[in-house]
Amino acid sequence: MAGDLMLFLPEAACLLMALTLFGLSLPKHQDQRRVHSWAMGLSLLMVAAGLAGLFQEGHLFFEAYRVDLFSQFFKLLLAVALLLVLGICRQLTGVEERYQPEFFLFLTTCTLGMMLMVSAVELMTLYVALELSSFSLYILVPLRSGDNIDVEAGVKYLFIGITASCLMLFGMSYIFGAVHSTYLARIADTLPLWIHQPGAVIGLLLTLSGFFFKLAAFPFHFWAPDVYQGAANQVTTYIATASKAAAVALLIRLTALSAGTSLYLLDVLMVLCVASMTLGNLAAMVQSDLKRMLAYSSVAHAGYALMGVLTMTRLGYSSAMFYTLAYMVMNFAAFMVVVKVASQGQDLKISDLAGLHRRAPLLALTLMLALFSLAGIPPTVGFTGKFLVFAAAMRDGHFWLVLVGMINATLSLYYYLMVIKAAYLTEPAEPQESLAITGPTRALNYALIAAMVALGLFPRQVLELTEKAVRNIF
Amino acid sequence: MTPVAPNGGELSLALLAMGLPLLSFFLVFFVTRPRVTLSCAVSLVCSGLPLLAAIWLLAGHWRMEAPILWELTWMRGGGVAVTFGFLLDPLSLLMLCIVTGVSFLVQVYSLGYMAGDPGKAKYYAFLSLFAWSMISLVLASGLMQLYIFWELVGLSSYLLIGFWHHKFSASQAGKKAFVMTRLGDLGFFLGIIVLLLNLGDLSILGLNQQAATRLTPGLLTASALLIFCGVVGKSAQFPLLTWLPDAMEGPTPVSALLHSATMVAAGVYLVSRLFPFFQGSPQALGWVLVIGTVTMLLSSTMAMVASDIKQVWAYSTVSQLGFMFMGLGAGGYFAGVYHLTTHAAFKALLFLCSGVFIHHYATNDFFVMARSGARSLKVPMLSLTVAGAALSGVWPLAGFFSKETVLSALAELPNPAWLWLGLLGAGLTAYYTFRLLFVMWRPRRTQPPAGHAEHGEGGHHGAAVYWVMAAPLLVLAVLTALLGAAGPALESFLAWGRPLPPGAHHGWLVAASVVVVAAGAGLAWLEFGRAGAAQQGFLSRIPGLWNLFANRWYLDWLYRWLLDHVVYGLFSRLFTLNDRRVVDGGIDGFCRATLGAGWLLSLLQSGLLQYNLFTMVLVMALVGLYFLLV
Repeated sequence: MAGDLMLFLPEAACLLMALTLFGLSLPKHQDQRRVHSWAMGLSLLMVAAGLAGLFQEGHLFFEAYRVDLFSQFFKLLLAVALLLVLGICRQLTGVEERYQPEFFLFLTTCTLGMMLMVSAVELMTLYVALELSSFSLYILVPLRSGDNIDVEAGVKYLFIGITASCLMLFGMSYIFGAVHSTYLARIADTLPLWIHQPGAVIGLLLTLSGFFFKLAAFPFHFWAPDVYQGAANQVTTYIATASKAAAVALLIRLTALSAGTSLYLLDVLMVLCVASMTLGNLAAMVQSDLKRMLAYSSVAHAGYALMGVLTMTRLGYSSAMFYTLAYMVMNFAAFMVVVKVASQGQDLKISDLAGLHRRAPLLALTLMLALFSLAGIPPTVGFTGKFLVFAAAMRDGHFWLVLVGMINATLSLYYYLMVIKAAYLTEPAEPQESLAITGPTRALNYALIAAMVALGLFPRQVLELTEKAVRNIF
Repeated sequence: MTPVAPNGGELSLALLAMGLPLLSFFLVFFVTRPRVTLSCAVSLVCSGLPLLAAIWLLAGHWRMEAPILWELTWMRGGGVAVTFGFLLDPLSLLMLCIVTGVSFLVQVYSLGYMAGDPGKAKYYAFLSLFAWSMISLVLASGLMQLYIFWELVGLSSYLLIGFWHHKFSASQAGKKAFVMTRLGDLGFFLGIIVLLLNLGDLSILGLNQQAATRLTPGLLTASALLIFCGVVGKSAQFPLLTWLPDAMEGPTPVSALLHSATMVAAGVYLVSRLFPFFQGSPQALGWVLVIGTVTMLLSSTMAMVASDIKQVWAYSTVSQLGFMFMGLGAGGYFAGVYHLTTHAAFKALLFLCSGVFIHHYATNDFFVMARSGARSLKVPMLSLTVAGAALSGVWPLAGFFSKETVLSALAELPNPAWLWLGLLGAGLTAYYTFRLLFVMWRPRRTQPPAGHAEHGEGGHHGAAVYWVMAAPLLVLAVLTALLGAAGPALESFLAWGRPLPPGAHHGWLVAASVVVVAAGAGLAWLEFGRAGAAQQGFLSRIPGLWNLFANRWYLDWLYRWLLDHVVYGLFSRLFTLNDRRVVDGGIDGFCRATLGAGWLLSLLQSGLLQYNLFTMVLVMALVGLYFLLV
């Protein structure tokens, strides 16, 4: 029993956190500061639990739940992402006052859902976990205070999410029909025999839809711009970081089922990868709203992550995992700056950043490094991540795919540099007062800068970890 | 020769020598800069300890039998590993001692020389940066590491030449040095790439042992010559020699450290480092000999007409470096390295002495210095004389012995012309050195020693400053006097302690060189030294030659012409045209098309929810159809 608890430690911590926050949200009037402190404390505990459970291995719940380095790596990532997002929620300016305790609660349940998801090795468990995280987000998106754009975003998110879920369930039914089991282990044994049947591949592909949706990959990306713009900045940050990590984890787990034997699946994934990259980058170029721009850029990055996944080799998977980590760090850094600069919780136009280097030099530096990293310029982590993914695809012989990826990376430089130009070179129309940065924020900035550079220069330890993790599923 | 791994002591000493100056650079530059005294202290400690480490290492490995190698792999890919580490063998240990020794003495000396300069702390930071890069260059175990630090010493040289950047000529000189050495480095880098592509191994030991057997002779010569291009730039050899005299715009201690004793000698060091590699290609060594000879003669002639004391030593440095290359080119490994060692001592001494005079009389013209009473500064005058005599090759000073080894290497060559040219160079050297010495010792019209009052620089600082600057002079003067006796010991050390092959002893050579030196000195005596001499050289009566030498053989003029007519006139114009029409035009068109596509796509995105959902289902349906139909 104690051993089982050890296996379930990160999730248990998360559950505890959710319950505590639920309790805190019950009274009519609640001091937001207090809830935030509780949330921070508990999520620190969760990160500790994630670290403690990193090297656990075993099965739970009638073999439907598998704990291994792969799942624990992602759980740790999720716990860290939650902690980071909570770290920038001290002034929750974008969320209506009375819903603020619930805001923390649903962030936690969403994280719990995703933690369950990365460990689930049975289709129904997987589906339920996915929906737990999705429903939390459906509620979080419209929680924003102010105008009505949030409702539109919420509705759009809900509908597209539901459609993706439908397709996913449909696909699962195909798989069940073909294999007569919902256990991934069983499916992995049997599916390669069936893989040349259209039904099996269609089933697998439709099952992936749910995760394409989470990742905002083509053609399930339509929600991204509206939701990124419409949701409160902190929620957007969470969607842009944590939920991507979980999606990549599941894409890896599910594509591994085909054992790389299906050329059709590969073709389709390649098409989606190229479409995501190209569409995301092209559309991002013409955006004037910073969050919309980052939304399209996340579509493009979904494409880069898919490139690692679609090789369906250990190298590709581990590089995709590294890319996910890199993406989480750099994207969080960019959004952190958005949250800090939009001190009233408003939407930011790119032109609003004018003169940022004078108003807040440190934030401007972090933003620049984050955007350079997103664009893939050495010595940042984004470069290393992209390099690993491209190298993995190249080794698998996808020269043209890599070429398209390179061209896309170059295109993306354009709009990232536009933002840097706004922050560093453009003078604001009227002088603005400088932004006050508190001590913890300053520390967070330094930590992010250090992480982006350090992981870019010395990726070896993390890579060894991801390589070891991938061996658990493939 | 199989390398061995270092033991703990060696490892920590070598890393200490490599790491401390870097630490000092960061500390001084970023932390202690506002506090000048502390900055100097940090820098001095961090250059003194590496010196002790170097001496300890040298003493501990005096009879070493196998090189000590320690490497970390920095990156690896496609069968090529780029490593960082250190390689300790007699050559690198000797050079390490030279570098750390001169560097430490110069830092002590600079305490006095730079006293009161507002940028003193920054100056020490740059000196530390230089020390770090130079030590790492010397100890480098592979060519890639060597190249990186090779460029870093170039950077520190640029920073230090232009240290008084408010002086236009100084910043121009810094730029010129940077550009000209980079020009040579282009060749060096190409050479590295050739080796990387053909061997996949850039370790110095590997190159020395295997290059000759694994490369075709053509490739070997090509890569050796390309690497030699970098050497030509760094050591200011013909035709890239004019940056070094201009580099004298920097503070004099910098000239002593970088532009005579250590950095410019890095070229000689590199050729010695890769000597077995160069030996694999007789053509390459032939070119080394030719370039060295041409440079030596050209720059000696330039030194004969200069009246700026630092210019004289700068030309002399170029010519002595050429002399070292002659030794190496003739196959005399020890000759080149030995002359490098002694030259480091006496040339640093010459510059540091000159620095005292310049500091004292605020002029660079040695005729003016002499008239202002330079004779009264006893320590610098005596040191200058000792060093000058060593430079000309007067027995029993260090220069005499090292010059003899180079000349005997030249005498081994089948063609006697090289030896005659070498002797001619020795004569010219003696002439210009004694010209300066006689002018300094025997000024024509002695003015009252008003230097202090008039220029006031030395006077303010008093005796303490004078002695801080004089102490390093004495150390170097003793070294200059004694290094001659260390020749045989050094030779056996550099040959791994093996018994030396009995070289042909040329008794007549000693006589010949003594005669040549005496002739040069005698001519200088007649024109500058004896009572009633006009102190005008014979060259001033031949205006054609005088102008040619004073204008540096019109090399700068030639470069200007090439730059204006070939680079700007031809290449730049065509490239600009290509840039405007083809590249810009193409890029503009592409960008417009891309942005247009972006607009179109984002218009499609903002459609109603129904259309979004429809697209999703449609795409998945198409995928399904694809599976069914294919």
